[in-house]
Amino acid sequence: MRKLIATTLVAAVTLSVVGCSQSGGSQPAASGGGSAPAGNPKIGVAIYKFDDTFMTGVRNAISKAAEGKAEVDIVDSQNAQPTQNDKVDLFINKKVNALAINPVDRTAAGVLIDKAKQANIPVVFFNREPMPEDMQKWDKVYYVGAKAEESGTISGQLIVDYWKANPDADKNKDGVLQYVMLKGEPGHQDAELRTKFSVKAIEDAGIKVEKVAEDTAMWDRVKGQEKMAAFLAASGDKIEAVLANNDDMALGAIEALKASGYFSNGKYMPVVGVDATAPALKELEAGTLLGTVLNDANNQGKATLSIAASLAKGETPTKDSTGFDITDGKYVWVPYKKITKENMKDAK
Amino acid sequence: MSHLSAKQVQGFVTQNAIYIVLVLLIAGIAIYDPNFLSITTLRDILMQSSTRAIIALGAAFVLITGGTDLSAGRVVGLTAVISASMLQSQDYPRRFFPDLPDLPLLIPILIAIAAGLLVGLINGIIVSRFSVPPFIATLGMMVIVYGFNSIYFDMEPNQSQPIAGLRSDFNQLGTGYIGPSGPYSIPYIVIIAIMVAFIVWVIFNKTRLGKNMYAIGGNMQAATVSGINVAFNLMIIYAIAGALYGLGGVLEAARTGGATNNYGNMYELDAIAACVVGGVSTSGGIGTVPGVLAGVLIFGVINYGLTFIGVNPYWQLIIKGLIIVAAVAFDIRKYLAKK
Repeated sequence: MRKLIATTLVAAVTLSVVGCSQSGGSQPAASGGGSAPAGNPKIGVAIYKFDDTFMTGVRNAISKAAEGKAEVDIVDSQNAQPTQNDKVDLFINKKVNALAINPVDRTAAGVLIDKAKQANIPVVFFNREPMPEDMQKWDKVYYVGAKAEESGTISGQLIVDYWKANPDADKNKDGVLQYVMLKGEPGHQDAELRTKFSVKAIEDAGIKVEKVAEDTAMWDRVKGQEKMAAFLAASGDKIEAVLANNDDMALGAIEALKASGYFSNGKYMPVVGVDATAPALKELEAGTLLGTVLNDANNQGKATLSIAASLAKGETPTKDSTGFDITDGKYVWVPYKKITKENMKDAK
Repeated sequence: MSHLSAKQVQGFVTQNAIYIVLVLLIAGIAIYDPNFLSITTLRDILMQSSTRAIIALGAAFVLITGGTDLSAGRVVGLTAVISASMLQSQDYPRRFFPDLPDLPLLIPILIAIAAGLLVGLINGIIVSRFSVPPFIATLGMMVIVYGFNSIYFDMEPNQSQPIAGLRSDFNQLGTGYIGPSGPYSIPYIVIIAIMVAFIVWVIFNKTRLGKNMYAIGGNMQAATVSGINVAFNLMIIYAIAGALYGLGGVLEAARTGGATNNYGNMYELDAIAACVVGGVSTSGGIGTVPGVLAGVLIFGVINYGLTFIGVNPYWQLIIKGLIIVAAVAFDIRKYLAKK
């Protein structure tokens, strides 16, 4: 018995180590070293966490953009900054030619830049913007991302479009838009800016607003459903619009709305999200989700890869070499897109 | 004769399984990619294992008494935030305490460790005085500590922003080293971890507290009958564990140059896994410092090595899980065989 267990243990470990490194083939193992064509630079990519729908889109776009251009090694930081720092040390040990980092905490970028600078490996941050003072630490630091406030503005505009097109949207006819807000993680830059700018966009369009309720649902679908159910129980028919910082929470809210009779027998509630995820597009098609905002994962991934590849080859990235506009010599801003039922194929 | 030697081999394998697995892992990874074998790799793994070792040693105290401690990770988060909040540089624009003068480095560190110790002490009191099972007591504290930490972290003017702009002397503690720059330098945190491991070894093996700890974990009734003040010893042990998590949290902040209330999330499970893989018995009474360190290093090698050779991260999780279960299954055999 003991022998059996011992053999199994050793076999399991050895087999899994050898076997899995082959099955991990979807990300080319940069460790192949000699087998790589000499022309292709090695890029170490650290994602804040793998089980994030949006970042999975960016990750896939990076892998795809890398084909024939660079050898990418993509790792999971497991939503822990210490883990990410460990992975960056590992990339430096592996002597990658450039780093592409999606920080877990945007303020932690300073330490990562110090590490990269010491090893003289250029670094491209993406999707979470480091502090401006950290960005200034070294000239080989770039950022690729979207302007979070823009996503807020666009989601606010979706509500404005609906309000102006449908006089019935003002259910209590008081001329004021009563809304509830489902926020992402408190303190998260996107959550704060989307909240602020979505409301601002509505006000800027000349519509008076009243906040009926606001709570955090931590970007989470289940929590979105729970909070929305609580809002409905507390305020019910008073609510005239639901703004969610992301699609997952918006979809949760839709579930709660369905449970209290919305989206049938002519009872409707405008719900907007951000991200244009696949499940959200399905709801758009079904007519339950009013609109969403596409955070362009594909172009973020493409831009990150082309800036990193250019830096890895020792060049200074330009619009000609990368295909993307570079602002202030450091920033690539990938625009958001407004997505409704009419143009939803753009998001697929 | 040949039968006897086969038995001896088997005995050797059983007794040293943990170290054999460690060597096999390194060998497997090195065969796949020989570049893995380098001083930089060794240094990186030791550095990355340092804070984990300190936290795992804290968990070992509690596990050996037959208890468990789920609050470890959240205590790490609490003390990372506390120390970072008081150690920001004066020129950083968004300070947690805008008017706080530069304190001597040691003071915020000691305050943070004391906070960890306090949480541990409360754990110990709940477990020993109110007879709440350790799993439940520390589960409750895990949630409470996170709640308090989040309130602190959300205070004006910080409002849940990640704490950054840490003083360079504090940052140095986590990233600095002695010796020449480059792979042959020795990081401070490795030295700190070694010192902590030595002190814990002394407590385990050379002090009455250590003897009491093994006695309580081996058989609590027998320990009580033989005149050990079980409640008092448990309080001290949980408090020490809390202080070690506290130190771990301080070093995590120093190492990464920042902190959020999410730091340390789930570290308790890593610590417990490292302990049991290192031969600490979950039913109490058994465990050694070298075993715990080997357990931590196994996970250090897995984390670093499997990423190094490009294993899909989801497969890494499966491998870790397999190793935890296999190690304990194997270990239980060892003690059954003894009996």
